[in-house]
Order: sequence, then structure tokens, then C-alpha cells
Amino acid sequence: MFRHTPLRHAVLAILALAALMQAFTAGYFGLEILIEILILCMLVLALDLVAGFGGMVSLCHGALMGVGAYAFAALATLAGLDPWLAALAAVALTAAVAWVIGAICARSHGIYFIMATLAFGQMAYSYVFESPLFGGDDGMGGIDRFDLTAIGIDLNDSRTFALFCLAVLGAVYLFATAILRSGLGRSLTGVMHNEKRMKALGLNTWRIKADVFGLSGIIAGIAGVLAAQHIMFISPGLLNWTVSGEALVVVILGGLGTLVGPLVGAVAFVVMKHQLGEVTTYWHLVVGIVLIAVVMSRANGIFGWAEARWGARLDRRLADATRSPTPEEVTSDA
Amino acid sequence: MLDLDAVSSGYGETQVLYGLSLKAQQGRVLAVLGRNGAGKSTTLKTIMGLLPRRGGSITFEGRPIAARPFDIAQSGIAYVPETRDIFPSLTVRENLEIAARRFGGKGADWTLDRVVDLFPRLGERMRNGGAELSGGEQQMLAIARGLLMNPRLLILDEPTEGLAPIIVKLIHDKLMELKQAGLSMVLVEQNFGFATSLADDVVVVSKGQVVWSGSPAAIRADEAVQHRWLGV
Repeated sequence: MFRHTPLRHAVLAILALAALMQAFTAGYFGLEILIEILILCMLVLALDLVAGFGGMVSLCHGALMGVGAYAFAALATLAGLDPWLAALAAVALTAAVAWVIGAICARSHGIYFIMATLAFGQMAYSYVFESPLFGGDDGMGGIDRFDLTAIGIDLNDSRTFALFCLAVLGAVYLFATAILRSGLGRSLTGVMHNEKRMKALGLNTWRIKADVFGLSGIIAGIAGVLAAQHIMFISPGLLNWTVSGEALVVVILGGLGTLVGPLVGAVAFVVMKHQLGEVTTYWHLVVGIVLIAVVMSRANGIFGWAEARWGARLDRRLADATRSPTPEEVTSDA
Repeated sequence: MLDLDAVSSGYGETQVLYGLSLKAQQGRVLAVLGRNGAGKSTTLKTIMGLLPRRGGSITFEGRPIAARPFDIAQSGIAYVPETRDIFPSLTVRENLEIAARRFGGKGADWTLDRVVDLFPRLGERMRNGGAELSGGEQQMLAIARGLLMNPRLLILDEPTEGLAPIIVKLIHDKLMELKQAGLSMVLVEQNFGFATSLADDVVVVSKGQVVWSGSPAAIRADEAVQHRWLGV
């Protein structure tokens, strides 16, 4: 079950402010990095939803994002559909694909679940890679961004597109919290803790897992549509399992099952990638060392570490300050 | 109401139940007694479909019991496990709401308010996390959660295990209230006094079979049975 704590609110506010500042002050390259972070944020929110709150570690979320990107590109450029309609259809298709994958994989657990999702992801990757319709390994170009010129917004401008992505990310975050706070979200928490117990309580756990996987697919699909519009070109690499693996690294680096943590992780990951990438081609080594350090510290990622260190204290101080009697609220969900 | 006929079951390669048969009757409390490892909890898990049945048959209200655990629960059986299984990251209220359904059909009228009336302590702890409850509170929550499913049959696995005598007494009184209200129950217990004072019928299980059945008065009077099968 997801709850906002003062620390979570604070980190969200800082992240939002930093993103806004970056959006208004950065040059072209800075904006590109910002957009990359924002889209990665959506993908890791989708992944945290299933992995952090449902115990479903997925290695197909990159592929799901790819399905969204390809479906959007194909419908908008090949079929000539209105971009908004194409985006809507692409997101719906991604959700449907995710639901089916979730429904099939939901019967397996642990490492088998991971392998099953990996297989689905790689199937999608191989198909796109070989398919002449979607440009095979050459990918597809000529993808347009949404046209909002009617209301005076030009998304072809990087700054505007970054702000647009930030707004979408905000909506996606609210969507994710709404899912987690709903009855479905609560049931998902129960399934993660004790699936047998949930069955004995009369809940169809298979259906719960599939539904949440489908909802997570909506978010991955949105990330895919924006990723396609961002680069205005897509290639099969988007669906490769390394994208899913990277997303998983980001979620764990930031803090599994906290929603806020993966956002922190996405920022840390992309910044490390670009800053270190300038200094050394071996930046992956550094990311690897950081990840090992985080995992070995036994904290739940960067944010989990901060939460363990300051979360409770901040809660208490605020509770004292406002004198609102909220005794011993749970501060950790994972 | 619930009929087990020659049921065999177990964990992996280890068989635990060897053709166990018992009957739980409408409006009555059946106590299942036996030593550790006799197969009492295994019996309950097999009823709930949490362990695969290898032989025999189980019928509930005259119909073969469903195969999947959630279908069994939906048919009107609530199971309160020995481990209580409170969800630690959900609050007391959320733990209750997750189970609130009307599987029992008509006349099923357990609501959040009514379970709080039954266990006022839970009302005070509504906003607390599941991980912050004492053992007794967890047990009350587990029973309340079972009741909220509005079952026609409530099965309880060792509801007094590890609890202070005063809490055992409280749980006893509450279960007695439920019994007097007409709820059918199957009760697995190690606490002989607790079980025999609540039950209408008693069966004793040993090595995966029912070895004795009769009334609570009969088993309380029969020290030989107690000594032989229960080690009391």
C-alpha cells in the first residue's frame, strides 16, 4: 500500500522544482537530458508498480514501451492516423498486450516469472527486428510530435516538449498513486505479501495481477509514445531486454516499491550516464559499482536509505509541530 | 454441511492425511484435536484448496467443493490461519476492507461496524499498521477479517496459540457469541479446555486419520482417550 510521507512530498517537490528550473534554463543538450529522464521516469513508475508493489519483477517493460512506440509510429506514419488518435490506440494496444503477458505470466513466480516476461519481451524484439513492415533493424523515421499549435504550443521546440513531458509525468504519477490507493492496489499489496492468504480470502489473485500488469502497460505505452516523439525515430533497440534491465537497475537504485525512489533513481542514472560518459567510456563500471554499493548497504535504494535515515524523524517533527494525533503511521511499504 | 470422505493429502512427497473422514454440521462447532503433526492444519489447508487433494472427496452443502481456493472462499467458507497472516503494510482498516464481501449470500450482515462492536480493541487500532499489532490484536483482526467475508462456515486454526490467558478468554467468549448466533465452525486446537468448552462435536486426529469422535463431555470424561491421543 502506497502512502505519502512528508519526506516523499519533500522529495517530489524538489524533483519537480529542479525539473522546472532545468526546463526553463537549460540549453538544447540539457533539455534533451531532461526529456530522457522524464520518459525514463514514466517507464520506471510502470515497472515499480508491478515489481515494487506486486512482486512481479518484469523484464519486458522495455518491450512494452517499444510496443507503444512502434504502434504509435506505425499508426501515425504508415496508416496516417491523427497523432492523438494514434497515441490513444497505441496506449490501448500496449495495455492489452501487457494484460495478456501479465495474465499468462501471473501463474508463475520468482525467477520463472522473470524468465517468462523476458521471453515475451524478446519475442516482441525479434519480431520488430525482422519485420519489413516496421523497417526491420533500420527502424522507422519521420515521426511527428503532437500538434498543439492550435492553442499556441509548439512541441517541436525542445523546451516546450520537455514541459509537456513533465506535465504528462505528473499525470502518470497521479495515475499510479490512484491505482495503488484503490481497492485493486490494496489487493495487490496483499498478493505480494501472501498470495495464498488472498486466495483464501476469496480473491482471484491471478486476475488482480493481470489487471495491474495491464494498467502498468498503459504507463509504459505512454512512455513509448513520448519516446517515439522525442527522437522522432525509433529502432528495435528500444524493445531489447537491456532496456528493461536498465529500468530494473534504476528502480532498485532508487528504491523498490516507493514510486518516489525510482524517480530519484532515474535522475541519478541518466546524470551519471552523461556526466561520467564525458569523462570515461567505462561509465557503466561506475554505475555498476554504485549499484553494488547500494545493494550491499541493504538499504532499499537511494531513497529507501534516505527514508530509513530521515523519514521517521521528519514524520515525528511534523507530527509534533502540528500536534495532530496520528500515532505510529507506517512509513515504509516495501 | 462440510463432509470429508477418505481424504488424502500432503506436502510434496510427504503424505500427511491418510483417508481422513469427518463431518461438520450446520450450526454446530466441530473441534479437531490431536498432537503436533497429526494432520490438523493439513486438513484445513486441504479443505481450502491450499494443498492439493490426492484422494477422497470433500463436499460443502451437498455439492463437491470447488478446486480453486478463491472459489472455495466465495462459496462461503472463511479460513483463519494459524499464522494469522495480517498484511503488515496495510492498516487495520485496510486489512478488514480487503476481505469485506458477501460470499454468504442472503442474511450475511457482517459489516465493519459490527466487527468493531465485537472487538472494540480493533476500533481503537483502525489506523495502525498491521505490523504494529500485538499477537492478540492480530488474532482478533484475523477473525474479524474472516467474519467480514460473511461466511456460512468459519474455520479456525489454533486461534489461541501463543496468546496470554486473558486474551484466550476473550477469544473464547467471542467465539461463544458467534456460536450462539448460529455460525457453523470448525476449530483446530491444542488447548483442550478451550476446544471442548466451545465444541458441540469433537474428533481426534492421529497420523492423518480420525481415531476418535464423540461429544466434548465424553472426551473430557475419558482420560484414556486423552492420554493416548492427546498426551493431556
